[in-house]
Amino acid sequence: MNGKIIAFFDKMQKLDRRYIYLMVALSIIIPLVIPFNSPTFTSETTENIYRKIDSFAGDPTKAVLLSFSHDASTMPELFPMEVSVLRHCFERNVRIFTICWSPAAAPLMEHAINTAKENYDVTSGVDYVNFGYKPNSLFLPIVLGMGEDISEAIDTDSQGRKIKNLDIMKEIKNYDDMNLVIDFSGGGAALSWVTYARAKFGVNVAAGITAVMVADYYPYLQTGQLIGMFRGLKGAAEYEKMVDVFASYETDEYPNGRPFSKEVIKNVKVPITKSTIIYIEDGVEFDTGIPLNYKYKVARIGMNAQSVAHIMIIVFIILGNIGFFLTRKKDNL
Amino acid sequence: MFEIISNTVAAFFTLSIFSFLYKDNPFYKFAEALFVGVSMGFAIPLVYENAFIPFVYTPIFLGHKFSLIIPSLLGLLYTFRFSKNLSWLSRYPIVFGMGIVGMGVPMSIHSSVLVQMRSAMLPLDTVNTALIFIGTVTILLYFFFSKDHKGVYGKFTNVGVWFMMIGFGASFGYTVMARISLLIGRIQFLVGDWLGFIK
Repeated sequence: MNGKIIAFFDKMQKLDRRYIYLMVALSIIIPLVIPFNSPTFTSETTENIYRKIDSFAGDPTKAVLLSFSHDASTMPELFPMEVSVLRHCFERNVRIFTICWSPAAAPLMEHAINTAKENYDVTSGVDYVNFGYKPNSLFLPIVLGMGEDISEAIDTDSQGRKIKNLDIMKEIKNYDDMNLVIDFSGGGAALSWVTYARAKFGVNVAAGITAVMVADYYPYLQTGQLIGMFRGLKGAAEYEKMVDVFASYETDEYPNGRPFSKEVIKNVKVPITKSTIIYIEDGVEFDTGIPLNYKYKVARIGMNAQSVAHIMIIVFIILGNIGFFLTRKKDNL
Repeated sequence: MFEIISNTVAAFFTLSIFSFLYKDNPFYKFAEALFVGVSMGFAIPLVYENAFIPFVYTPIFLGHKFSLIIPSLLGLLYTFRFSKNLSWLSRYPIVFGMGIVGMGVPMSIHSSVLVQMRSAMLPLDTVNTALIFIGTVTILLYFFFSKDHKGVYGKFTNVGVWFMMIGFGASFGYTVMARISLLIGRIQFLVGDWLGFIK
C-alpha cells in the first residue's frame, strides 16, 4: 500500500506541467460557462467606500472624483469596480467627475461611463463630467489647484467645454465639495492622492487596486489615510452586491434605494444565475423585476471561477508538498 | 460585423500568446513581435492627439500662450539623448523633473513615515496593536546587521523573520489572486464576448 502511494506521488512529482495549466484553465472555464450562486461576503474596506458615496446621495453640493490611472492590462479587475461605482452614483443621484493621467486610460474611462450609463437617464455636464485626459506632468498643479478652485485647475472637459460654465459646477467649487477621490490603478497612483490631496486638503481618498498591490496599501488603510479600498476582483464583487442590495432597491418606502445596513447585507442573497435582481432573505424570495445585466454581475461570476481556481491551487500545493516529503523520505532510506 | 471580426482577431492573438504554455512556437513569436510593434505605433498618434495637440500646439499657435514655448523647448532637449556629443543637454529636463520630485519629499515623509510612525505608537491595548509593535521591533532588529544574529538577539530576529514570511505569504496570495483574475478576464472574453457562451 505504502509503495503504491509513493509511486503515485512519484508520478505526480514528474507530471508534465501542461496538465496543470489545462486543469487550471478548466477550473476557470467551467464556472464561467455554468455559473452558480456562491455567497459574497462584504468587507469593511469596501463598505466604507459605499457608505461614503451614499452619504452624498441627492446632494448637489457634493461630488465624487474618479481617477483612472491604469491601462487595458488591468481591466479585468478594475473595470467592474468602476462600472459598479458609476452605477451606484447614477442610482443614488451622486455627482461624479472623472479624470485620467495617461492617454491609454482615456478610452477606458469613456467605455466605463458609457457601460454604466446605458440604463440611466443621466446627462453629461449635469449629473457627471468627464475631465478627460490630463498629462501626468500636470498632476501636481491640478491636484493642488483643485483645492482652491476646480474650474481654475481644469479649464475644459473631454468635450472641450469650459468647466466653469457647466451646470454641475454651480454648487461645487473645490475639495470641500468634491470630498471623495477614488483612484483606480494597478500601481501606487492612489498614494499620490494621499500624499498631496489628503495631506494638504484633508480629502477623503479611497483606492481601487489590483490584488497584487493590496499588501502595499494596507499600511495606509490602517493609518486612516485611505477611507476604503477595493481589493481586486473580490472588492468589485462586493460592491456589485451592495449596489444590487441597497442602491437598486425600490419600494414605496425607499423609492431611490435604501440606506446601508450591516444586518441586511449579511442576510440578503442576490442570485447571479437569475436575469433579474432577486433578494433572498431568511428563505423568502422577492423578485424586484429589475434586470440584472451581465455587466453588473461580471465580477461575481468571475469570483466563482476565482474560488474554484484557488481551491485547485491549494490542492496542488498540498499534493506537491506531500509528494516532496514522501519522495525525500524514500531517498533517505 | 466589425465586432465579430475584431473579436476574432483579438481571440486569435490571445490564443497565440497562450500557446506558449504548450511550447514556444511561431504563433507566439508572431503575436509577441506584433504586440511590441503595435504598442509603439499606437502610442505615437495617441500621445500626438492627446498630449501634443491640446497641450502644446493649440495653446501656443491658437491660444497665443507663448510662455509655453519655454517648457516645450526644455522637453525637446530630451531628444539629444541620441547625440554622443550633445547628450548632456538632455539632463536639463531630467533635473527639472527631479526638482518636482523633491517638492513632494516633505509631503511623502508626512504620509509614509510620520503618520505610519504615529500609528505604530498606539497604546498596546488590543491584540492588533501588540502584534504591530512586536512585528515592527523584531523586523527592525533583523535589519540591524552590526550585531550577530545569535543567542537571545537571534531569537528576537527570528520572530521578525516569521513576521516577514507571513507578510510575503499574504503578498504572494494576493499576487496569485491578481494573476488568476487576469486569466479570468481573458477567458471571459474568449468564452463570452467571442464565442457567446456566457450570458
